[in-house]
Amino acid sequence: MIGFILKRLLQAAFVVVAVSLVVAVAIRMTGDPALMISQGATNITEADLQRIREGLGLNEPFVVQYANSLIGLLTWNFGNSFVGGTPVNILISRALPATLMLAFTSLLLSIIISVPLGIRAAVSRGRWSDQLIRICSLVGLSFPNFWLATMLVLLFAVTFRLLPPSGMSGFESFIMPTLTMGIILTATNVRLVRTTMLETLNSQYIMVARAKGLSENKVLYKHALRNCAIPLITYFGLQFGGLLGGIVVIERVFNWPGMGTLAFDAVAARDYPVLQAVIMILSLMIVLVNLIVDIAYGFVDPRIRKE
Amino acid sequence: MSPLNIFRAGATALLLATTAFTAPAFAEGKLVVSSPQDPGSWDPIDTFLVNWASAATNIFDGLTYRGPDMKIVPALAESWEELDEGKRIRFKLRAGVTFHNGEPFNAEAVKFTFDRLLGDEGGKGPQRSNYTSITKVEIIDDHTVDLHLGAPDPVLLTKLAGYGAMIVPPKYVSENTEEFFNLNPVGTGPFKFVSYDPKVSLKLEAFGDFWGDKAKVSELEYRFITEPATAVAELQAGRVDVVIPPTIPVAMVPTIEADPNLELASVTSPTVWALRYNTRDGITADVRVRKALIMAVDRETIVKEILGGQADVIASFQSPLSFGYDPELKPLPYDPEGAKALLEEAGVKPGATVQIDVRGNDATFGEVAQAVAAYLSMVGVTATIQPIELNTMLNDIIPQGKTGAMFQQGWGGWTFDYDNTAYAMYHTGEKWNPYDSDPKLDELLESQRPLTDRAERERILKEIAVYAADRVLEMPLYNSKALYGINKRVKNFDPAPDNRLRLNAVEVQ
Repeated sequence: MIGFILKRLLQAAFVVVAVSLVVAVAIRMTGDPALMISQGATNITEADLQRIREGLGLNEPFVVQYANSLIGLLTWNFGNSFVGGTPVNILISRALPATLMLAFTSLLLSIIISVPLGIRAAVSRGRWSDQLIRICSLVGLSFPNFWLATMLVLLFAVTFRLLPPSGMSGFESFIMPTLTMGIILTATNVRLVRTTMLETLNSQYIMVARAKGLSENKVLYKHALRNCAIPLITYFGLQFGGLLGGIVVIERVFNWPGMGTLAFDAVAARDYPVLQAVIMILSLMIVLVNLIVDIAYGFVDPRIRKE
Repeated sequence: MSPLNIFRAGATALLLATTAFTAPAFAEGKLVVSSPQDPGSWDPIDTFLVNWASAATNIFDGLTYRGPDMKIVPALAESWEELDEGKRIRFKLRAGVTFHNGEPFNAEAVKFTFDRLLGDEGGKGPQRSNYTSITKVEIIDDHTVDLHLGAPDPVLLTKLAGYGAMIVPPKYVSENTEEFFNLNPVGTGPFKFVSYDPKVSLKLEAFGDFWGDKAKVSELEYRFITEPATAVAELQAGRVDVVIPPTIPVAMVPTIEADPNLELASVTSPTVWALRYNTRDGITADVRVRKALIMAVDRETIVKEILGGQADVIASFQSPLSFGYDPELKPLPYDPEGAKALLEEAGVKPGATVQIDVRGNDATFGEVAQAVAAYLSMVGVTATIQPIELNTMLNDIIPQGKTGAMFQQGWGGWTFDYDNTAYAMYHTGEKWNPYDSDPKLDELLESQRPLTDRAERERILKEIAVYAADRVLEMPLYNSKALYGINKRVKNFDPAPDNRLRLNAVEVQ
């Protein structure tokens, strides 16, 4: 087990280095941050631009700049933002929890809804409840998330004034973003749970369990669900990783002070240190989530634990 | 209980519940402003973003002040006089002013501010180049300073009213780190800093010892909201009192106008838009073609139909508020027949093509460009529209002369001086002028720069505008309005054309 974890951690390091290298090279192709900062300045000379670049540390060789950003990840010191010079770790330490919490509540909501519904649909395959659940999930899938978000805001924030339209300020502020993300995730997840459950229900051990005379609930929740768990955990794990990077649009609509907002602004402003830090941390998180998923298998399935 | 009574009881309960939720969320005396951009630092020498000034104008003072009426008035300097033919300006400083941290404001603070701006620390930021006409600051006595200039700078008094020239407290700045000052600003303005949450909000409170008219609201909060729909939703929900430019797009004007609690303030802004020409290559190298293309486009209709009337057609690349604006200079009239004749004279065959480069993120201008293309097709010119990512366009495509025959340009210097625009757009070798080189125009531009005689300088600026219009260096489109969405509970809010807000007079009900 320890060897396995070490191997995976090494893989994680490799992924982070590879991703950050691509990002470091790519963002430098977008142009000169000094020009960006001095936009609107009159009489700016090449000497002025040089001074600004010097101040940003852009005159160092690329290798040094890149190495610094890697060391930054280890020491949690990513330098200062090019926009206003705020230390990047201050920005990250506010944005990362915001994004993690939103991703977590969204996924949790989706699991709470989609697991029972998916099982119900699988059990009543072909009957009206299955049809209804599948149609609802299709409708859910067809909503563009920004549209859904805007509608929720119009209804609950502007018309009824029950919820804050944007920002992160206490429990109420989580409701709409979580609903938006949750509904869209649920639409996919219901179908996934249904398919996985159907496959499981067709296997021989379920037939045996039923033949033993176990109650249908015991068959479903003790035998079938446990065996479904592995593909589902894998999928939910991947989804969580995807969510971290994928809630940019939602963060923008709800003015959520998360990693997506940070990355979006950083790209627009050619803010190398911020973008680099965001990407490195997100890719690290995704790799780690996958690792946790792999470890979680062991708890669910004794066969994997033994290997 | 009869069914009707049950219904009534239910309705009352519902109504009560609603009032509980709609009761004002704030204590009296708090104003919340939505700003589209967080400048990331509150240090005056760090940034060029207009939305820095939208907030920081409440924290800091300059030697001079220019409010929404565009007049330069005394601020931290009570008076000033020009000496040595404009190469030295003597400022008499206001007495009894203190910074928010208790430090006294005096000549030392002025010298410290400019030494810092023009020295190493200022050099790392973008503001320094604006103030390089200042060579030395000399302390005459505790409340008198002389600014020595390398050459007369007619725009200096305006520039002293904002941005890099805001006076900072010497002791506080030198005792703390640069980073600390960025995040914890201290000035002499009507509001003092309380807290700053990056990308979220800036909180200020009224400063009791302010030297001028003290703030009417006790708390002032800026929230950073980029997405227009989100900002307007917050305004409608009553959680934001004012949405400042550049947030509200023309398309959302009806939403605000339809809401009984809100009002829209639309003021002339410094921002002007044009499609500039590649005057070096292709069919637009011919002045007759450039003129014909302008005559082919009905700009009045574009402003009316696409911009909902929230703009004015312009004849030269400046706002009516800018120094050097000539009301006598009229836009070329819409004349498609005349355009066709001119094109034929220039030997342009029907079916000739031009490419129009536009900013990819600007939906409103995208529509304008399509209308322009449609008008051009009516005189036989086929225009293709090429959207380009904003920063690539501004920092690479335009400066390196890689644009199509026409390209979108917006401009709006806060100094409201046509020199700022014209020099950058028309002088040979300037970043924004990749194609044209006209010795006569260069000479005109250079000749007005050192003049302290305002009338003479204004005359030359007008001449420059006429000259540029005769050479048809761009297709001037319109001067857009600055749009503010305001909750009606806000009183005495004076929407500033340049978005530099000073909110001490504002009250909330």
